[in-house]
Order: sequence, then C-alpha cells, then structure tokens
Amino acid sequence: MRKTQRLAHSGGGRAISRRKFLGVTAGATAALSFGTFIRSGQGAASLRILTWSNTLNAMDDTLREQAKQYTKEKGVEVAFEFINQPDLPSKTAAAVESGAGPDIITTWSDGAHLHDKALIDVSDVAQPLGNQLKGWTNIAKDIGIVNKVWKSVPWGIIPIAVVYRTDWAKEVGYDKFPDTYDEMLVLCRKMKEKGHSSGFALGRSIGDANQSHYPMLWAHGGAECTKDSKRVAINSPGTAKAVDYVRRLFKESESEDVFSWDDSSNNRAFLAGELACTGNAASIYWAETKNAPQLRAVTNHALWPKGPAGRFGYSSALGLGIFKFSKFQKEAKEFITWLLQPKQYSAWIGVGEGQIAGLLNFYEDDPVWKKDPKLELIREIPKYVRMPGYPGPPTRHAAEAMVKYVLVNMFARACKGMSTPDTIKQAEAELKEIYSKA
Amino acid sequence: MAAIAHAERLPARPWVSRFTKPEALTGYFLISPAVFLMLVLLAYPFVLAVWISMTDRVLGEPGKFIWFQNFFKLLQDPLFRETVWNSFIYTITTVFFKMFLGVILALLLNQEIPSRNLIRGAILLPWIVPTSLSVLTWLWMFDSLFSIVNYILLGLGLISRKVPWLGDPFWAMVSVIIVNTWRGLPFFAISFLAGLMTIPRELYEAAEVDGALRFRQFWHITLPLLQPIIAVVVLFSTIWTFADFQIVYILTHGGPINATQIFATMAYDVALVAGRIGEGSAISLFLFPALLVVIILMLKYLRRE
Repeated sequence: MRKTQRLAHSGGGRAISRRKFLGVTAGATAALSFGTFIRSGQGAASLRILTWSNTLNAMDDTLREQAKQYTKEKGVEVAFEFINQPDLPSKTAAAVESGAGPDIITTWSDGAHLHDKALIDVSDVAQPLGNQLKGWTNIAKDIGIVNKVWKSVPWGIIPIAVVYRTDWAKEVGYDKFPDTYDEMLVLCRKMKEKGHSSGFALGRSIGDANQSHYPMLWAHGGAECTKDSKRVAINSPGTAKAVDYVRRLFKESESEDVFSWDDSSNNRAFLAGELACTGNAASIYWAETKNAPQLRAVTNHALWPKGPAGRFGYSSALGLGIFKFSKFQKEAKEFITWLLQPKQYSAWIGVGEGQIAGLLNFYEDDPVWKKDPKLELIREIPKYVRMPGYPGPPTRHAAEAMVKYVLVNMFARACKGMSTPDTIKQAEAELKEIYSKA
Repeated sequence: MAAIAHAERLPARPWVSRFTKPEALTGYFLISPAVFLMLVLLAYPFVLAVWISMTDRVLGEPGKFIWFQNFFKLLQDPLFRETVWNSFIYTITTVFFKMFLGVILALLLNQEIPSRNLIRGAILLPWIVPTSLSVLTWLWMFDSLFSIVNYILLGLGLISRKVPWLGDPFWAMVSVIIVNTWRGLPFFAISFLAGLMTIPRELYEAAEVDGALRFRQFWHITLPLLQPIIAVVVLFSTIWTFADFQIVYILTHGGPINATQIFATMAYDVALVAGRIGEGSAISLFLFPALLVVIILMLKYLRRE
C-alpha cells in the first residue's frame, strides 16, 4: 500500500478520494457564503447620507458631530459619506440604476430634475419648513420642485462671488469693485497693465467655468433657449455681445492659463498671489486664514456686475433627496427636518463663514453674515442666481448642455481666435442636437 | 505486449459519455468558478450594454427599444465626430510611439549590462503603479502655474515662454499622448524583450559570418522573428487605448474645448453625468464592430504565421 493510502486509512475511516474532498470543501464554502447573505436583522433604523466633501473640512466635521448628536437624541444611526464632488454624479447614477445605496442623496443644482423618478415626494418636509422659516427663495423652488412636486429639500447654496485684490484695485484708482461689466473690464485691464492678471476659468471646470460665464451670457441678453425651453435661442445679438465681451476680457486682462483650469486652479493661483480677480466661493477667503494670512486683509468680495440685461449669477444649489428604495423614508424625512432647524443649520453655516448660504429666507439674517463685513454681501448673491436653462426652467437638456461645456467652449473658441458668428453657430448646432432629444 | 494488446481491445467511447465521465465532470467543476466570473463580470455587462445602447434609456427609467437610432444620431453630433477623430489620433500616435520606442528599449535591455535584471524590473514601474496616482503626478507636472517641466525647460533655456501643456488644444493632445506612451511603454518593451530572448544566437552569428552589419541583422532577422509578438502587442494596445479613460479624465477631462475628448470620457459625461445611458452605451460600443473585425483579421494572420 502506498504511503498516501496508508495515511488515509490510518484514522480508521474510509479512504478520502480527491473528488470527495473537493466536493465537501465546495459544499462547506457555499454554506458559509450563504450564511453571509442572511442579514443580521433589520433592528434599529439607520440612515446613510451621500454628500460632497466640502473644501471647508470644518463644515463636514460639524455634520459628523450633528449626526452623532441626532443618534443620541433619537436613537437613529446616521452616517454621512463625503465624496469628491465630481464623483457625485456617477455614484448617484449607480445608486439609481442598481436600486441600492444611500438613503439620502445630495442633489447638485439640477440633480432633482435628472433623477426625479428615483426620488420620493418630500413636500411634507419642504412645505412645513417653508411655513416655519419665512418661505423658500425662488432658486430653492427651482432646484427642489419638479413638475410641481418637491423632490429635493433645498439644503444650501454656495454663492459664487467676484473675488478680487483690493490693494491692486486701489493701485489703479478703484476703492470699490465696479458695478457694471464694462467698468470691470477697465479695472481688470488696468490691473494687468501693472502685471496682475485676472482669470475666469475656461477649461473643464464644472463649477467655476460655468458659474463665471453663464452670468456673463445672461447679463448681456443672451440665452441658450426660449422661455418654454422648446427652442434653441443662442444665436442672438445678446449672445454676440456676451461673446465679444468675454473675448475682450480675456485678451485685455486674463491669464493664458485659464483654458486648463479646473475648480481648484483659481484658488491656488489666488493664494499664490498670482491672481487679481476671479469668480469663486468664499473658500479662497477662508483658505487664506491658514495658507496666506497676509492676503486676507487685501481680499474682498463683490456682486457680479450688471450688464445691459441686468445682474445675474449662477451658483451651485444643493438639496437633499430621499431615494425610493430607502427602507427608512420616514426617518430620513425627520432627519432632514431636524438638520434644517436653526440650531443645527446656523451652527453649520456659521462654521462655513460664507461658503454656504441658506435657501430659506429666515437664514438671510443669520449671524454668520455679521461675522465679517467682507462676507455680508455674499448673502445677496442668491437673489440674482438663475439656473442653466434660464429663462426657462432647469431641464435635462440644459443640464446636458452644461455638462458638455457647450457655452464655456463657445466663449473659449472666441478667446482662441474664432469669429463671433462662427463660434455661436457651432454652439447652436451642438445645442440643437441636445435639445432635439426627448 | 499484454498491455498493448489490452489497449487495442478497448472499445471506442461514445462522444456523449466523454462529457459525463467522472473526469470530465470534475474538470467542469474546476473551471466553473472562472466561467461564472467571466459570465457575470464580462458577458453579462457586455450584453446589457449592447441592449441599453439600442434603447433611449435615461437613468432610473426603462426606456424603449429604438434599434440603432442612437448610433445614427451620434454620427450627426458634431461633438461626437470630434471625439472619433481625437480617439483615432490618440490611439494611432500612442501605439506607434510605444511600438517604436518599445523595440529600441527591448534591444537595449537585451544587452549585457551591469544590474540588467534590476533595470528590467525598474522599467516596469510605470506599468505597475496605479494609473490614477501616476497621472495625478503628471497633472502637477503639467500644471499651468507650477509645472516642473516648464520650470526645467525654461531654466535650461530650451523655451522662452511656458508651454500651455493642458491649456492649448494641441499641447493637451501632446500631453495625453506623452503620458499614455510613458505608461504603456514597459508593456511593449518587456514583451518584445521576451521575444528577443527566444531568437537563437546562431542566426546572428551566421549573419555576422556572412558579413551582415547590425542594421541588416535587425532588419532581416530580429524584425521578422518579432513580428508575431509585435502584432499581438499592438492589437492589445490598440484595444486598450481606444478604451482608455483614466489618463484623459484626470489630465484634461476631454478639454480644452473637446480637444482631447475620447470615447470613454464622452460616454462617462453623457451616461453618468447627463443621465443618458442609452446614448452613453452607444458611444462606448461604437467601435466594437470595427475592433471585432480587426481582431479576427489579426488572429487569422497570426494563425497563418
């Protein structure tokens, strides 16, 4: 008898064939795996909230603390998951398609319109909050209401202001930031002549590029579509004026680098002392405390200037939506209501120092705006904010046009030398292709 | 003799029983995990993507079957046509450079040099390091304000003003080509090196005796014998490069002004950000029929060789 067979028999039992060994092993593995599929039981409610990772970490830390506090008070487990903002669309898409994921999602700008079929009706959260806290702003209704139903509870807006160097502006004779685009061009040109360039992103910067240039389009009378969103209306004298203006602004005052900028590039340039004027949230001013304290005294904010058609702005507005597949919809609604109460909300935006403004009229008088005079006008910005698709509502077509940088590219091509009619025609063709879809 | 006679007496097995014999069943059992993984992770997503590409699905909605309308619509989209052009330029240029430089590098690595094995291992680093991390480093190296590449070139006096690596349509394409070539070169070089090492030295010795110089040896011996490996490596690299995503997404995200937009980045924006997954699937599968033909022709050629 060979050695292996002697070993198999040594225990007194039958010989174990390889086949039997494999079969038993496979069966045991399958049984163990099956066990992990059995959930340990529903137990207490728990909420998962997917949101963006704030540039101001302190705001995220505040949310974590508030989550712990809520758990202590109500016995509901709450966990925030903070991810990079550009990854939010793909994570949201994965959750929508798979029917599994977080209970509460942060809808970014037109997110509620894009995913409204996957979100529940939250009118019973939004309406009472509006009644309690002096009503919602117009932009809140734009982002939260889809087909007359609240699908997302507006959470806040990141006001994008003009951020500029007061010392360099003073050097060329400006104590205050100009109130019209034409005067802004003069100021920026004079600053560049002194060696200080401005910069408004014209690259693949989903925030800054769009949020700087959509207002320039609207302020000069341009628009991508008609009020009923049915027809493309980009080819207009207003758009031509806007294109000519942006071209002049670039050639006479801006840095050549703007074509490669992402959302953090202008922050870094400003903090490095390389930028005179840009469009950004209060995050630059906040970051200067740690990274460039010497600049804090010479940095200030301004409203976006007025153009021939008025004053406009575009800022990212955030909302909180609840997925249909969530098993804890009641608890999610209660949590959102709690989160927007003055005690919690004021603490959160207070730490933000102007990074986020409330979308309920009550929060216009929040103490955060009194912390620093340089932040006070930021609370005015949401009044002028419109969404892509203006003068119509924010639609899927407008969202697609923004994601494809149709308007930003129109301006970029003009700055690179293309004629105004040609660049508008190209944008028109791209928009018509988008708006022709269902 | 008895064993041979015994072997001759064995009856022919019916073909069905070949599949039901215990050995065959064990074989299927052992390969079943791999087959299962391939079906779940490759076949199912692929079939689903093909199905979705023939619907007008948007995120969260079922959509309806529209046959090849997505594909026809894409051909009318000026942005998509630009994407096709960019993808071909990107792929053809990078594969050419990787092949050309890969052969040179393989020839160098085949020489008797000190620490040869260490150098061969080090050459693989760009291939091994996670692409996202290495491309983030390149992003910093090409940064508009703080580019170390511009700093060095300006310091050496090779340029008089900084190169807009990621801000100019031409230079942005050059940048993504440089990074893709850097990342893929080790794969080409090591594959070619493996091929070089199988070429018998006697062929070179015989050619030397006949008076053939190094270049003629390379042209008439090395290159023909490397041809099958070159074909396979080029085929794989072409497929991978057409499907490339990370490098362009991190470096330029398709910009500036769509100058580096390729299939995968456009599919991402359209499907996951704008929510049109039917159209996004059509974009990502657009080249599939053409690539399938290329693969079949290439495999036929290799079989002939």
